[in-house]
Amino acid sequence: MTVLMRVTEVSGRPVVTVRGDDVAQVRDVVYGGGNGEVAGFTLAGRGLLAGPLKHGLPWGGVRALGRDAVIIDDESVFQPRDEVIARAQAKGGDVFGSQVLTDDGVELGEVVDVVLDVDEYADVVGYEIDPTEALSKDNKRVLIPLPDTLAVSGERLIVPAAAVDFVTDDLAGFGAAVEAFRDRLRESGSQT
Amino acid sequence: MRFSEGRGHPVVGTETADTVGKVQRFVVDASQARVVALVLKKTPDKADVLRWADVITFGPDAVTVPSAGLLVEPDGELARLTNKKRSLLGQRVLTDAGDNIGEVDDVDFDPADGSIRHLLTSGGEVDAARLLGLGSYALMVRHS
Repeated sequence: MTVLMRVTEVSGRPVVTVRGDDVAQVRDVVYGGGNGEVAGFTLAGRGLLAGPLKHGLPWGGVRALGRDAVIIDDESVFQPRDEVIARAQAKGGDVFGSQVLTDDGVELGEVVDVVLDVDEYADVVGYEIDPTEALSKDNKRVLIPLPDTLAVSGERLIVPAAAVDFVTDDLAGFGAAVEAFRDRLRESGSQT
Repeated sequence: MRFSEGRGHPVVGTETADTVGKVQRFVVDASQARVVALVLKKTPDKADVLRWADVITFGPDAVTVPSAGLLVEPDGELARLTNKKRSLLGQRVLTDAGDNIGEVDDVDFDPADGSIRHLLTSGGEVDAARLLGLGSYALMVRHS
């Protein structure tokens, strides 16, 4: 079973060992690979005054990314922060605030969150955007599905025009929207 | 029996037939799913922990023990487990899938041997076989 979650909800989530000890909390999500999958996390200490930690958590050390915590076996899965970041294609924070443009030249809005599909791996499947009037009249945030080969990068974000047909306004229906959108892309052969 | 029922049970010394204290709370080794000791109140002196191994019976109305001399001031591993922060009641319950399933409201244990049978949580009953351990953040249980 896969679970959809927003990246802003993952940040700040405690990192807990299977013995129940909280040893860190998630600071940022690090993306890697060509498919926008999560490569790991940078970490901060627990507590109000704790700062960033020198070690990071590679995805391979994650036992589970749940709704309330990231579970690891023990602290031996941590690696130097720089090594975890080195695997990254771009940092997730970079896409926040980026404008999303369709490949036929329509501005859709600004990225305010990233949606992950979490299973054995965690993949980026969509953006939550603050829409332009072209997309929505009432200014409410919407979720827009992404092709499965789209890398998460800090450059201008260009999505296939068909994505507009699969916009939803809540996570409950978004998984189905992502699948339908990707099916459409495969049928039309327009996926890049 | 539940912790809520056992709490307040008088602890009676069988050699002298006098009350040596009352059950205040249960000391648990979560990774073993077992009650390992009882913390008592109203004891004759500072020693207020009764090891489960020294209990004769945990009966429906009272706990029997040979004498008050068996009460100890805990040290080592028992002192660590006796820390109030390690009490099961009110503990956050987290699955190894990373989902919070509530807090421990009560615990069902076997008074014959101190083994824990179930946790009663705000998210439902959790079989003790799922217990993984208790840490600084949560009581961990296997994802069902």
